[in-house]
Amino acid sequence: MAKAEFKVVGTSPARKGGVERVIGKGIYGIDLMLKDQLHGGILRSQYAHAKIISIDTSEAKKIPGVHAVVTAADAPDVRYGRSYFDRYILARNKVRYMGDPVAAVAADSPAVVKQALKKIKVVYEPLPVVIDPEEAMKPEAPTLHEDMPLPKNLPEGVKVKNVCSFAAVRVGDAEKAMAEADVVVNEVYETKMIHPQYLEPRIAAAQVEPNGRITVWANSQGPFPVRQEISKTLGIPLNNVRVIAAELGGGFGGKGSGITSGAAIEPICALLAMKAKRPVMIVLDKAEETISTTIRSGAKLYIKTGVKKDGTIMARIGKVIYDTGGYSGFGAQAGGRCTNMLGGWYLMPNCHIDGYVVYTNKQVCGPVRGPGGPQAAFAVESHMDSIAAKLDMDPGEFRLKNIPKAGDKIVGVPKLRDVSLGETIKIAAEKIGYKKVGAQFIAPALGKNQGIGIATGSWIESAGPGGGAVVKVNEDGSVTVHIGKIDMGTIPGFGIPLIVAEELGVPVEDVTVVNVDTDASPWDAGTVGSRGILVAGTASRLAAIDARNQLFKMAATQLECSPEDLEIVNKQIRVKGTPAKSVSLETVATNAHNVIGEVIGRGYFDNVAAVAEEKAHGSSQPFTTHACIVEVDTMTGNLKILKYVAVHDIGFPIHPVAVEGQIEGAAAMSIGQALCEQVIVDKDGRTMNPSFVDYLMPTINMMPRIETTLIHGYPGSGPYGAKGAGEIACVPPMAAIANAIYNATGVRIKTLPLSPANVLRALKEAGKA
Amino acid sequence: MSITITTTINGKAVSAGAEASTSLLEFLRDTLEYKGTKLCCNTGECGACTVIYNGKPINSCVTLAADANGAEITTIEGLADGDKLHPVQQAFIDTGAVQCGYCTPGYIISVKALLDRTKKPTAEEIEEAVSGNICRCTGYNKIVDAIQLAAQRL
Repeated sequence: MAKAEFKVVGTSPARKGGVERVIGKGIYGIDLMLKDQLHGGILRSQYAHAKIISIDTSEAKKIPGVHAVVTAADAPDVRYGRSYFDRYILARNKVRYMGDPVAAVAADSPAVVKQALKKIKVVYEPLPVVIDPEEAMKPEAPTLHEDMPLPKNLPEGVKVKNVCSFAAVRVGDAEKAMAEADVVVNEVYETKMIHPQYLEPRIAAAQVEPNGRITVWANSQGPFPVRQEISKTLGIPLNNVRVIAAELGGGFGGKGSGITSGAAIEPICALLAMKAKRPVMIVLDKAEETISTTIRSGAKLYIKTGVKKDGTIMARIGKVIYDTGGYSGFGAQAGGRCTNMLGGWYLMPNCHIDGYVVYTNKQVCGPVRGPGGPQAAFAVESHMDSIAAKLDMDPGEFRLKNIPKAGDKIVGVPKLRDVSLGETIKIAAEKIGYKKVGAQFIAPALGKNQGIGIATGSWIESAGPGGGAVVKVNEDGSVTVHIGKIDMGTIPGFGIPLIVAEELGVPVEDVTVVNVDTDASPWDAGTVGSRGILVAGTASRLAAIDARNQLFKMAATQLECSPEDLEIVNKQIRVKGTPAKSVSLETVATNAHNVIGEVIGRGYFDNVAAVAEEKAHGSSQPFTTHACIVEVDTMTGNLKILKYVAVHDIGFPIHPVAVEGQIEGAAAMSIGQALCEQVIVDKDGRTMNPSFVDYLMPTINMMPRIETTLIHGYPGSGPYGAKGAGEIACVPPMAAIANAIYNATGVRIKTLPLSPANVLRALKEAGKA
Repeated sequence: MSITITTTINGKAVSAGAEASTSLLEFLRDTLEYKGTKLCCNTGECGACTVIYNGKPINSCVTLAADANGAEITTIEGLADGDKLHPVQQAFIDTGAVQCGYCTPGYIISVKALLDRTKKPTAEEIEEAVSGNICRCTGYNKIVDAIQLAAQRL
């Protein structure tokens, strides 16, 4: 659809909620303060793997100002998890990572909380610790979960242990095709654990209401999953739990997967409030957060590809070892996605990949921005350059040789609808400085130790449930929108108001999007998976159209015409072509009080229908290419990114500035993972860099200007042809930078991060430093 | 040991008690309920808690409340003139530099301090002025745009 058809969508007005954010109004979870609230704190395991012999809380309970001390004994014997129920809200019998919650305290002040936590006596029997997932799979490794069975779908004859889940890609006959290939390239890549490090710490606040219901405030991306898990883990009927979403100071999936992401601070807080009979609030300390909440897992990626001399890919054989940490968390989903994506997004006639998601004594895998994708892409897109080098082909040309077209299948996607991959490659090549001469791309002239790198990516939005929207037209013609997705710089502040304003002919200023409250908002799985615009965007549009239909039906009676003849422009409902024949939105919405009570539009994103549609007509997933020029300091190993371009097909951008913001932010996160970010864990399972002093993240000095180009013409499944934009830009950066280093120095670095120390070591090993 | 701290915040004289170990950030947020100054790393690394202290931007999380005695402090709450936003605040909104917004108060304070020092900052001066502020949402593009726009408008 062309942009000109619309009045509001496709423009970039100021974000809703901008003013309160710039004047410092206390709107975030951390700014909450309940009347008579106590402070809550959590005692965390000091061992990465141990049996709990006993817990004695008697001394802690005696301290003046302590109102409640809770352990697993105070909660029902119920486990939680996303697909594998392998975890308690407070550890029972065993701890499995250093940071596992063991007990919790509610007291008058944070100082008393600290004092009480120190007085809780836990007797542990330390067990052997396993940190490396490949070690954890060996028969002699310690067992993490005695009562979790191995996955049923493991290949026959495979002897492993501590495997949480297994994913497989089986396309064609990869062994046979590999044997027939002209050139075979076999490599191993490795990525490290990173923490999403949203700036606002996790919080939870809970209060028992006079009628016995429990209200919980959470800065979670998924208030409804949080409600469900509190209900289950504490044995409280679902309708007695109310979760109110506080505004989020960042999430990036780290606050995404229900209570898993926060290591259950919400039910622990509710348990303390029930026990203390007073409101309780828990605020995680940033260093505590780094060791206890969910992370982007490290992965080891074995990748072998066979190609013909002309560059046609014949086969891939691979293996993924995906580290889920002490519990399943989001590991099965992220590891499964990583396994699929190791098959790439190019034509791949034969492919055989085994993906093992493995328990280790580390913190738990979460759905961090593009879960599984960046890891796979680091291997896939570095490997593509290695193959191109072996073939003596230009990396861009080699990729273009293997791109799918509409109707083709790629690994994990039975049928593609439109394929923008080739166009993103060509545009990125031009933007980074390639000159097109005939059919050939000529690389720009570069300085000493400078290199050019290119990497592509794709992402799938079509996994997960639907979600609803309710659009109410008030008696003054203003509009109130209820959705189940929270605002963390995403669609409730940017895209949703535009969609509703577009469909109802009202100014954007007249649209209010209400924060999520599980007592009032429509159900939603959460602001996750690049699905904001697809799910809540579609639902809001349909709800606005439903409201408009109700308005037109009433106005048609008054204007003595057919509802189909009507339109709304500037809050006036008028007959098309006869604008004088009109009635104000205000009048119709007010009159509704006597007819239908209120104009309430309902919309829902129907995921079953969307999946069927995709099966019939193919997936319209987004594609991207990033390219950069990097200068390598061969004395220090330091990298300087001189230029960075990101070319994205996200269908139709509903709020282009917001889309750019998502792309630039996601790219920055993976540039951080490429250059410096890493949670470092020692052999005993202790995190060596929990605080921001030691956990390096890119500051403005390290970051290049990200030059974003949005391409058009490939409509997606979202409203107006939009595609999700929140995660895909995390996919290519790490390989783009590694490829630029290779281009500059001839040295291929296969383990992240590309920190000065690691780059220098690699250069020295190759005799290039 | 509790001490009484007398200080000027956003032009207003304030007097309140604090422990000797209380940080300026805790004093602002928990005692005086100035919630606009944000708590994040508590180690002086991220800049979310930046306030202007006698004309200079500082990390309030690693400054003692006691040091505020007799000082002049500007927080994010002190920038707007009634309903009229400060040009730096307006520029952050206009350029789309506010995503989650959690780092925003710290940035706006750092930038105000920069533009109080120099009306026409160079690209290097801009980078230097906000090199102690971390943003995880924007990738910094739109923050640079906001600072340049604010400098133009001032």
